[in-house]
Amino acid sequence: MIKLHKATIISHNAAGRGYYRLVLKAPEAAAAAVPGQFIMLRVTENRDPLLARPFGISSVIARRSIEIFYRVVGRGTELLTGMKAGQALSLLGPLGKGFVLPGNDITPVLIAGGSGFPPLHFFSLHAGVRAHFFVGARDKACLPPARVLTNLKANTAKVHIATEDGSMGRQGMSTDILNDFLAKMGKKNHLVIYACGPRAMLAEVSRIAAEHSITCYVSTEERMACGLGACMGCSIPMKAGGFKRACKEGPVFDSRDIEWGEQVMVTTRSLTHGGIKKN
Amino acid sequence: MRINNKTKIDLTIDFAGIKLKNPVLTASGTFGYGEEFADFVDLNKLGGVIVKGVSLKPIKGNPPPRIWETPSGMLNAIGLENPGVDVFIREKMVYLRKFDTAVIVNVFGYSLEEYVGVVERLDDVPGVSGLEVNISCPNVKAGGIVFGTNVSAAYELLSAVRKATKLPVIAKLSPNVTDITEFAKAARDAGCDGLSLINTLIGMAIDVRCRKPRLANYTGGLSGPAIRPVAVRMVWQVAKSVPLPIIGMGGIVTGEDALEFMLAGASAIAVGTANFINPRSTLDIISNLEQFMVEQGVNDIKSLIGKVNAG
Repeated sequence: MIKLHKATIISHNAAGRGYYRLVLKAPEAAAAAVPGQFIMLRVTENRDPLLARPFGISSVIARRSIEIFYRVVGRGTELLTGMKAGQALSLLGPLGKGFVLPGNDITPVLIAGGSGFPPLHFFSLHAGVRAHFFVGARDKACLPPARVLTNLKANTAKVHIATEDGSMGRQGMSTDILNDFLAKMGKKNHLVIYACGPRAMLAEVSRIAAEHSITCYVSTEERMACGLGACMGCSIPMKAGGFKRACKEGPVFDSRDIEWGEQVMVTTRSLTHGGIKKN
Repeated sequence: MRINNKTKIDLTIDFAGIKLKNPVLTASGTFGYGEEFADFVDLNKLGGVIVKGVSLKPIKGNPPPRIWETPSGMLNAIGLENPGVDVFIREKMVYLRKFDTAVIVNVFGYSLEEYVGVVERLDDVPGVSGLEVNISCPNVKAGGIVFGTNVSAAYELLSAVRKATKLPVIAKLSPNVTDITEFAKAARDAGCDGLSLINTLIGMAIDVRCRKPRLANYTGGLSGPAIRPVAVRMVWQVAKSVPLPIIGMGGIVTGEDALEFMLAGASAIAVGTANFINPRSTLDIISNLEQFMVEQGVNDIKSLIGKVNAG
């Protein structure tokens, strides 16, 4: 059952590299949440901005609180940064169908781009097996917070980093280092890929997975108004025809089920140089 | 609800022969087929549900992105995605019929024949209280001319729909016209039993960095509080010029918003975009209305319809 909660902010801080860490007390939602699910938060009770914002759940703390990481990407997240511990905000969720966690014989290969890091972070904490975690960003300053990556490295995952400008890790995109990693690996039947990020990145991951015959689950990010399956804003074209809603049937899909169409990978460089790289 | 244990608050409305417990309905396309809101709203408490638009055949809808937030509103270009009237009757109506609430089915098509086809299929379906006809679609057989923005096309369409069903017919008018009262009159002349207004206002938003429209469809329908003053004005104009009952809609979030429409002349109201930001909006609005009536000493909500002091 989906519920609307009044969630009190327990802590809210800048977490480094432009990220904010927000911890909300929402015991019912926290107890029900699984990796890959998301919540809708209203950043104001006023009429502008009007809609609630979807946030992937980054982790659940002591089964009582929900942690999210976000960066300022627009007016909603800008307003959110002004909210302080003790304030309450309306929280809808947990929403959507999450990842199916892998068995012990599987090595998860996680790949995150853009704001796709938090759901895979949650996944990695709960997978129960050590994962390979590929993280990509424009530059070092856009990577997830250093402390979070250090914790992952220490506990649950081997972290592989790529930056477009080479300021940290390998130069290139996360999909480039994924490609290299898979090319070097012999047998791959113990791998399952889990990806979250912008649509063009997911399309590329899906292509790579198909090339290596690896099962791949993608957690999609789409604009949505309600999160309840009513607005039909987040519909994703399917290979079998028709659409499925990211908020209801998703956000996690088997990558083979999605009709990817022609995707355009937009890099920072291509933007500043006024062109786009066809992929 | 009772005032001083004596006077009973009466929220009931008879809308073109459709009995409503209260004037609060859900606007088409914002409440799915009711089931999507089952965790939040007891449908028995609503005046009625106007379901998402249904066509003769299933429709896939537009490619994403389909929505874009705008100041106090949103643009959408969903493309009327729906499973088609047969699936609606076989699956969605089975659920809706379980509730004691009015079910108004929003219908549309891309030719006069498609409209008539879907209307005929719904005519004898148990539990359907009435039809709301979305006339804001292009007629592909007549060069794409939009029924809802051409008076004679609207009249011809609504007359054909009227003849094809015994159910009450409510015409949902487009605001994207110079004079909406002409369309209200055409609906009256065609024999419609009521009017719904307004549908969304056509808008556009552009990503200035990529120099591309925000919506894959380029343009979309604007809804939400941003359009409320336009909607209230149109309800007021139409109510003065045509005697048909009106379902008023456009950016209603609170009970006071709903009352603006009723004072302007609406007999019922529909809550749309507000369902997206608070799934319990409809229920909150019903209690707002009761509270307002208690405060103002109004016993019967019908006594407020069209009572704005403006000539």
